[in-house]
Amino acid sequence: MQRLILAFIALAAAPFAATAQTAVSPPGRLLASNCFQCHATDGRGGFEKLVGKSSGEIYHELVEMRAENKPGDIMTRHAVGYTDAQLKLIADYFATRR
Amino acid sequence: MKAKMNRRQMLATLGGFSAAALATALPARADDDTWQAPANPERIKPSPVSGTTPPGLPVTGLRGRVVVVGGGMAGATVAKFLRLWGGAGIDVTLIERETVYTSNILSNLVLNGNVAMNSLYFDYAKLRTNYGVKVLQANVVSIDSVRREVAYSQNGVQGKAAYDRLVVAPGIDFDFPPGLTTPEAQLAVPHAWKAGAQTLALRDQLRAMAPGGTFILSIPAKPYRCPPGPYERACVVADWLKRNKPGSKVLVLDANPAITAEVATFTQAFNVTYRGIVTYVPNAAVTSVDVAGRNVNTTMGPFHGDVLNVIPPHRAGSILAGTGLVNDAAGRFAMVDVLSYESTAIRGIHVLGDAAATTQPKAGHIANQEAKVCADAIVRAFAGQAPDPAPVTNSACYSPISATSASWLTAVFAYDPVSKTMVAVPASSGEANGPSGDHYQDMFVWFNTLMTDSFA
Repeated sequence: MQRLILAFIALAAAPFAATAQTAVSPPGRLLASNCFQCHATDGRGGFEKLVGKSSGEIYHELVEMRAENKPGDIMTRHAVGYTDAQLKLIADYFATRR
Repeated sequence: MKAKMNRRQMLATLGGFSAAALATALPARADDDTWQAPANPERIKPSPVSGTTPPGLPVTGLRGRVVVVGGGMAGATVAKFLRLWGGAGIDVTLIERETVYTSNILSNLVLNGNVAMNSLYFDYAKLRTNYGVKVLQANVVSIDSVRREVAYSQNGVQGKAAYDRLVVAPGIDFDFPPGLTTPEAQLAVPHAWKAGAQTLALRDQLRAMAPGGTFILSIPAKPYRCPPGPYERACVVADWLKRNKPGSKVLVLDANPAITAEVATFTQAFNVTYRGIVTYVPNAAVTSVDVAGRNVNTTMGPFHGDVLNVIPPHRAGSILAGTGLVNDAAGRFAMVDVLSYESTAIRGIHVLGDAAATTQPKAGHIANQEAKVCADAIVRAFAGQAPDPAPVTNSACYSPISATSASWLTAVFAYDPVSKTMVAVPASSGEANGPSGDHYQDMFVWFNTLMTDSFA
């Protein structure tokens, strides 16, 4: 029930948040821009193309790399730098890119 | 500070040399004896033409004028992302004295001939055509933070650029020790810490050195640009000398008490890979240089060598001198709010990259990320919004250890609201298990992608 109410509040607030936020700074964009240096602007190339993947795909890859805990792997090092919520935001952002 | 400052105090006369004097029609080749900045194919008119509106820029309804001073890693990136994220209504003028940027990253590989100097040149054509950034090849004369104007000189013609937000990313300048204060001395004992003519001067001296000679490399106290860079250079040169000048030595004089980056990799390289070639001397700060006698005097005594490479202590680019922006405790770098990179001294002016005093390393990859945080904050400010309260940045870097191998180091920084600084996430900071050929190949993917993200 509590979750339902929260969802309702989030929905009710969404139109206002969306017009203000998506126009100016979409959620996850600034976080995801940390990936651009190696995966190209908006994830279009570099070591591995990220556009075209689903949010779930990207998120699970990142979580896996974090869980593998290979300190000699540069992506493990990057993945452990972010919270779960941040990884989700990053994955969601790339999933919106074309 | 803000209330007391009058306009005259802000007017700093700047002694930037003319980029036009350096520009020639011929692009430099890898084996050129003298460095020449390649000419910009597009002639730039004294007053900026109105920016084009390339397709693909978002429609945000935002309007604002941003002037960016300095077209290095941070300056180019902030100009691009202000347009990419802010849209065509954000007017962005980039003022840069050179026609091209010469990358410091990979420039140690010019010393061993692996990389051609001209592969390190990046011009501003894509920032114009892809994003509609106005690019002015000009010297900044003064900054007026009250009228919000930058005065510049372009081929002797004076002009002014008005701004709502100013971003300055001038990089670093040096505090030369006694003995190295003249241009002649600085070519005889190059720093090669700003890539270009200095890099070729050092390369040519190494090529001319007799086998069995000693190469001295001195490292300034932290903070300096590219923490692993000097150790990387010692390794690349040691590897080259081993194969081309047998019997030669590398003497590393470090003002710091210990190796400052990639400690495991460089300790192994100095003690094992280049054993008998590299000697590492900590706590050796340079006090003066005897150019004619080829002596470097330090706090650990004098050292004699054949090729001397003294990297002097750094300060924020001289363009900031006299502006009031250089306000850290040591009087060397500009303090900023790392949520936006806005100066703590003067509102409306943001300082990015190596010139800023932050807890982050001075390096191109993270300067690119600082620029994105700044661009996002300025775009939000034009919409009347506060900056992102929890920015994250990252520093990653590949370091060549020989002509065929490289290592890497990386760190993720998160904003700490208590100290109001960027703090490295502990488990995210680390280095490669060791140098490898795979990392050497990856280094070029990283470099090309990073430079494209910054300049194109």
